[in-house]
Amino acid sequence: MEARELITEKLNDSQLRKNLDFAMSLLQTNRKKLLKDRYGDWEALREEGRKVKQNTLSRLPELLERFEENAKKNGIQVHWASDAKDANDIIYNLAKKNNVTKILKGKSMASEEIHFNAYLKKKGIQAIETDLGEIIIQLIDEPPVHIVVPAIHKNRYEIGEIFEKHLKVERFSEPKDLNAVARTHLRKEFQEFKMGLSGVNFAIANEGAIWLLENEGNGRMSTTVPDIHIAICGIEKIVESFDDAVILDTLLIPSATGQSITCYNNIITSPRKDGDLDGPKEVHVILLDHHRSDILSHKHYSKALSCIRCGTCMNHCPVYEKVGGHAYGATYPGPIGEVISPQIFGIDRYGYILNLCSLCGRCSEVCPVKIPLAEMIRDLRSEKAGQGSGEEILGISRIKPKMAEKLGFKIFAFLASTPWAWKSMLWGVKVFGPIGKPLAPLLPMIKQWTSCRAYPTLDASFQSQKLEGVIYE
Amino acid sequence: MKVYFFGTCLGNMAYSKALVSSIKLLQHYGAQVIYKKDQSCCGQPSFNSGYYEETRKVALANINLFDQPYPIVIPSGSCAGMMIHDYLELFKDTPHFERVQEFSSRVYDLSDFLLNHLNANLCDTGEKTTVTWHSNCHALRVSKCVEASKTLIRMLENVNLVELEREEECCGFGGTFSIKEPEISKTMVEKKIQDILSRNVEYIISGDGGCLLNISGAMKKMGCDVKPAHLYEFLAQRIGLE
Repeated sequence: MEARELITEKLNDSQLRKNLDFAMSLLQTNRKKLLKDRYGDWEALREEGRKVKQNTLSRLPELLERFEENAKKNGIQVHWASDAKDANDIIYNLAKKNNVTKILKGKSMASEEIHFNAYLKKKGIQAIETDLGEIIIQLIDEPPVHIVVPAIHKNRYEIGEIFEKHLKVERFSEPKDLNAVARTHLRKEFQEFKMGLSGVNFAIANEGAIWLLENEGNGRMSTTVPDIHIAICGIEKIVESFDDAVILDTLLIPSATGQSITCYNNIITSPRKDGDLDGPKEVHVILLDHHRSDILSHKHYSKALSCIRCGTCMNHCPVYEKVGGHAYGATYPGPIGEVISPQIFGIDRYGYILNLCSLCGRCSEVCPVKIPLAEMIRDLRSEKAGQGSGEEILGISRIKPKMAEKLGFKIFAFLASTPWAWKSMLWGVKVFGPIGKPLAPLLPMIKQWTSCRAYPTLDASFQSQKLEGVIYE
Repeated sequence: MKVYFFGTCLGNMAYSKALVSSIKLLQHYGAQVIYKKDQSCCGQPSFNSGYYEETRKVALANINLFDQPYPIVIPSGSCAGMMIHDYLELFKDTPHFERVQEFSSRVYDLSDFLLNHLNANLCDTGEKTTVTWHSNCHALRVSKCVEASKTLIRMLENVNLVELEREEECCGFGGTFSIKEPEISKTMVEKKIQDILSRNVEYIISGDGGCLLNISGAMKKMGCDVKPAHLYEFLAQRIGLE
């Protein structure tokens, strides 16, 4: 479906709008209340978080190597994947080697980014989601609508219907009953698994350990029950020390869900050791680049790699709230998605999502690690217009210049910097403004404007007034 | 005190009365207003679309025009934000930077200037009324002058200011955004209006022409009876300057 049609469809879906409105308000309110009640100096903490990420990114190659070295010492196997295909192949080969036909999955956006489920399906291997939100959308074959809360666009009645239809159970609508359905369904799935896959929230270089956050405990199932645990880790998830990870964790959770801590914190330092009663026999970490090092090499856009995937920019974006994540047609939607999706998948393919922003700046205001998201969205627009930093952006050479838009702004700049031309234009507005109403349907810009607004009063009379006491120069 | 007055492009096209009120307020509180007849626009339309070269051309025209060391006062937090903050970004690492910096340091939003530099003390002469306020995003987050605007409204004895539930949420104007993404913009302004209508007020006040044009235009089309008012027109009227 064309991007435009998709947006229209989402805007016309009144149930979706209602669900998103309710959910985003709740997430905003929870965060605001928690910060007010529990965090004495949130702004200072944000600054700390920004520094931690900037410091880490400035030494990323060194820290990645330190992570690899320490993880290996702990018995964790480390793999490097430069792109989606690499990462998928590594996992597929591990599955084939171990005769695995089903993989248990914890929530992971990196796995969405590499289209892991679809890749495995083609190879005859099934991926079973364990995150409640992911199960819901997997049952109806939809991608996540949000990076933290993947099924936030569905209300409990709709979830009851989905479970009834796909899991052949009674129709429920109470959260506790829905949870029970999911639990029964999953416990059955958990039993015969040999291989589990997860994401990573923080990979700690000094310890060679990975830290996973979750609220359900199901993610832990995919990291401890199977014999083999594979974690996909975007290279920007590296931090130097536990201290750094703690700062970021303290910023992440309130931002994401308005909690001060998640119900489960899984810190994995090694596979099962002699004498351990449980845990996987093998732990693999895949360090995924997928154009992240290209982003890192940009002087300007490298800040985008500071993202800790809390999703609060989405929760606060007035456009995201109206259209939902699917309207962006990209793995990463919302403000951070507008910044990274074009850079990971190509600005020629995803450049259009840069229009889905009124530049209100609320995302920059709430970002826990102070990524200037709105400013970057605007700067990426300038890359599209051929006036950016001059640094290479993936797919930029395949963008066709918009001649009409370019000409439009050239005319604007001429008018606004040439006094006689500007005055003539104002004179034109004064004369034709009031009689422009019947012409409105013929002029595309005015037609768009008046599609939901009354025709404005354009009198432009100020310039011809002489006010007492004013010095006119 | 001599001040330059920058009326903004939208002010000149659609809010003549608010510009007259703004000048009267400045004069009433002791400023001598200079109006440069060659003024135009701050350059936001091209800037927000990423056309930085064109924007620099417009910015330099303004910097050359307002060349004396007087404060430049603007009845729009959004345009003030552009000239105070975004001009610096635009000219970073260019030979013009120091000049731009000097220029930007003289730019003020009118609310901020009235309150903090002219120490305006508003004496309300109007009937009792209830109003609500919409914050322009750039006034709130770039020039950070919203508190000054609201302080001025709160000074009016007979005006009861009721805050919106989602005061800090964009109304969907966003300049070229409203033309490029009309459907999303429409949904956003409808949401804003829903919030306004739920407050049971007589007026919806905003300090920025763009938001006001958007909100009032949509309210008119929907047939709502809350009256839209530009902040400075409202303030001048309340203290009997009209």
